Amino acid sequence: MVTTIVGRLSQAALLLLVMSVIGFVGIHSVGNPVYNIVNIETATAADIRNATIALGLDQPLWRQYLLFMGNVVTGNFGTSYIYHLPAFDLVMSKLPATLELASMAMLIAAPCGTLLGLLAGRRQGCAIDRAILKASVFALSIPSFWLSMVLILVGAITLGWFPSGGRGPTVSLVGQEWSFLTLEGLRRLTLPALALAIPNIALIARLARAGTIEVESQDFVRFCRAKGLSARRILFRHTLPNISIPIVTIVGMQFGGMLAFAVVVETIFAWPGIGKLLIDSIQLLDRPVVMATLTFVSLAFVGLNALVDLLYAVLDPRVRLST
Amino acid sequence: MTLHSTQEPLLVVSNLTLTYRATAGLTTILRDVSLSLQRGEILGVIGESGAGKSSLGNAILGLLSPDFERTTGTILFDGKPLDGNNERQWDTIRGRRISAIFQDHTASLDPLMAIGPQLEETILATKDTMSRRQARDEAIQLLTRVGIPDLDQRYHHYPHQFSGGQRQRAVIAIALAGRPDIIIADEPTSALDATVQKQILYLLRELVEETNVSIILVTHDMGVVSEITDSVIVMRHGEIVEQGPTSSLLDAPQRTYTRSLLAAVPRLRVSGAGERKERTEHLNDPPLYSGSAEPGASPILVAQGITKCFSGRRFALLRKRTQTAALQDVCVQLDRGLITGIVGESGSGKSTIGRIIAGLETAGGGKIEIDDTCFDPSRSGSRSGLLGKVQMIFQDPAMSLNPRMSISESLRESVRFGAAMAKDELSIVGTMMDRLGLARSLLPRYPHQLSGGQKQRICIARALLAGPSIIVADEPTSALDVSVQAEIVQLLKETVRERGISMLFISHDLALVQELCSSIYIFKDGRVEDAGSSEFIFTHSQNPYTRSLIDARPRRFTH
Repeated sequence: MVTTIVGRLSQAALLLLVMSVIGFVGIHSVGNPVYNIVNIETATAADIRNATIALGLDQPLWRQYLLFMGNVVTGNFGTSYIYHLPAFDLVMSKLPATLELASMAMLIAAPCGTLLGLLAGRRQGCAIDRAILKASVFALSIPSFWLSMVLILVGAITLGWFPSGGRGPTVSLVGQEWSFLTLEGLRRLTLPALALAIPNIALIARLARAGTIEVESQDFVRFCRAKGLSARRILFRHTLPNISIPIVTIVGMQFGGMLAFAVVVETIFAWPGIGKLLIDSIQLLDRPVVMATLTFVSLAFVGLNALVDLLYAVLDPRVRLST
Repeated sequence: MTLHSTQEPLLVVSNLTLTYRATAGLTTILRDVSLSLQRGEILGVIGESGAGKSSLGNAILGLLSPDFERTTGTILFDGKPLDGNNERQWDTIRGRRISAIFQDHTASLDPLMAIGPQLEETILATKDTMSRRQARDEAIQLLTRVGIPDLDQRYHHYPHQFSGGQRQRAVIAIALAGRPDIIIADEPTSALDATVQKQILYLLRELVEETNVSIILVTHDMGVVSEITDSVIVMRHGEIVEQGPTSSLLDAPQRTYTRSLLAAVPRLRVSGAGERKERTEHLNDPPLYSGSAEPGASPILVAQGITKCFSGRRFALLRKRTQTAALQDVCVQLDRGLITGIVGESGSGKSTIGRIIAGLETAGGGKIEIDDTCFDPSRSGSRSGLLGKVQMIFQDPAMSLNPRMSISESLRESVRFGAAMAKDELSIVGTMMDRLGLARSLLPRYPHQLSGGQKQRICIARALLAGPSIIVADEPTSALDVSVQAEIVQLLKETVRERGISMLFISHDLALVQELCSSIYIFKDGRVEDAGSSEFIFTHSQNPYTRSLIDARPRRFTH
């Protein structure tokens, strides 16, 4: 157990190191942030030089990187060029918005996808199975900006049930501001959460369908029928647990993806989350914020993977009880 | 059971014909099958694979897939007809009146649910008025009855924590949960080793006497039939060949097919206990058999100190990397020009040692010497000089031929890359086909167009064409029909005798090994439990495990 944890942590450290190099070189090659910071119209050459020196951008890249890493080790990601706030705190301030959006999307996607998949797998080849399969191909292949716009068109403009964007009023809970506790907040959450959920429903449904078909062809399901269990009990008490491991894996990975890379959806719905912060920071060449965001995302993936592994042990006694 | 013969039979199947709708067209699975089953009777249904015996069981259970169609015939259960498609009717019958035991005890149980609760849910499903507490008490009673000890702890253990025999006992308990009138037992002991097989069969017999349940025992094994059944139905190609009381049918089979089935059962020859020599006489023998038929001839292969561990998948934070020892310090010798046998139950490591010798798997440690060339079995690259010298014949010929290659291509490939390195591939392949009794017209065909026996002959031809000095045959006959088995065994014997090839024959069947092998290794839990010449093992060995294996053979087929 100790060796596993140490192994995990060292993997995480390596991942963070590689990510930091790629991210740092990447953002460096995009352009010089100085021109976004000084006022180009009025700044003199001396102003620009002074700003460059003040930001440490006159140093060679490797030294900039080492300085950055030195600071990171002490927990300091630098100060945002644009907002003049500590970069990591800025990312963390966006976390509640992103977290509630991603959680809501997954709370819709995981049960819906699993149920549809179970249904399709049980009725393999029937009309309902074909309908679910075709719909899932459609849902997986439409671009998310289009889906978001259609949702706005239908949900906000035609029906007028939901607002078209922005985050609702928030309530403070455990030191953070959350919007899902207010009715207006929930209404504003619905459309972006749906936009994120729909492709995931399709993905999870396909996975659950394949799992159901595989599991239901096994002898123990036949034995369950022979011993007189109802079809419903077999489906939910025997098939569902047996298909849950791949589903948990994909839910974990997709959730991590939504935390960071729901850029399109967050932008279209003007959702003040981490994805939007990341894309804005890249556009403004706000290096400390980009690096802080990427680091947070890597940490989130490492954490989610560990969580998924723990869930394996909860779900599967063969993992839990092997000695 | 003559006692019950005056009563109305419990189950009557009359003129049942089943067809199967495949892409290729309609196939008749059962043709005009009729049978009747009395209360408290054990009816054996025996036949080769594809005889339709499992489909018969599934039809009685209402578990046929929708591709099957009952064209004619009726199934009367307790005087009422069973309709194949009426799911509502089946809900009142399956588990409550008719239940089942399947062959594979591992696959029959949900791996994610503990044994106790799996039984409990069956009891709750089949008895509407029972409380959870009562169900639990009854589950404990049933598990105790089928012989699972330590229920205080084991009730909440999962299937993988039980041994194979105990899993099958749990399956039997589940089948009994609804107090059924009939249990369809489809090859209930085929996945168990001989000793456990016998215990399970006797448990079934006892249960029949206690509860007056009837059992339809579907099997391919005449030994099982002779052991516990009251009457037998012999099936072939979906038709009933012969039926009658077990004793008279076994003593005086009327039909040629039944006789050939009986003749094909390998018989174990065991001398009486009085003839056993004293153990002290064998202290002079080397601990592991090392001699050969002709003194002085050196063994062709010596494997020493072979170890092998399988490590569990490492994908959970909570999990230690698990190491299962598949082989522990195993030493095996192959006599030149003879057949050496390895016997053991599944999981004993007998296949693993075969695969290591054939170079299909690396070992954890040890060394192997073939023809005085030593190499390290833990490094996959160390055998380059041995290309083609060791060949393998696998259990399932259908899975060991590339389905996309014609027979000719498969065989020519073997010539091209084997040790022989011959020029004129086609004529060599043709000659080999003639020698093994295969028509040359099979060459352009693909594996699925051939019968099981033909495919296994092709596999033997493929092995021989590579010009080996050693052949490892891993259960080469167990996927084949009984009547074909005998031909393949004969072919293997001739091959060894005529070509001077040495063979390692891996099997779970003691009688077969006795017939073929000059020396035998008995494997248990990854170790060599007992070893010696065939005569030593069967007449003199005092090893308790060896004795229990020999004693577990059905009496009728032991001489």
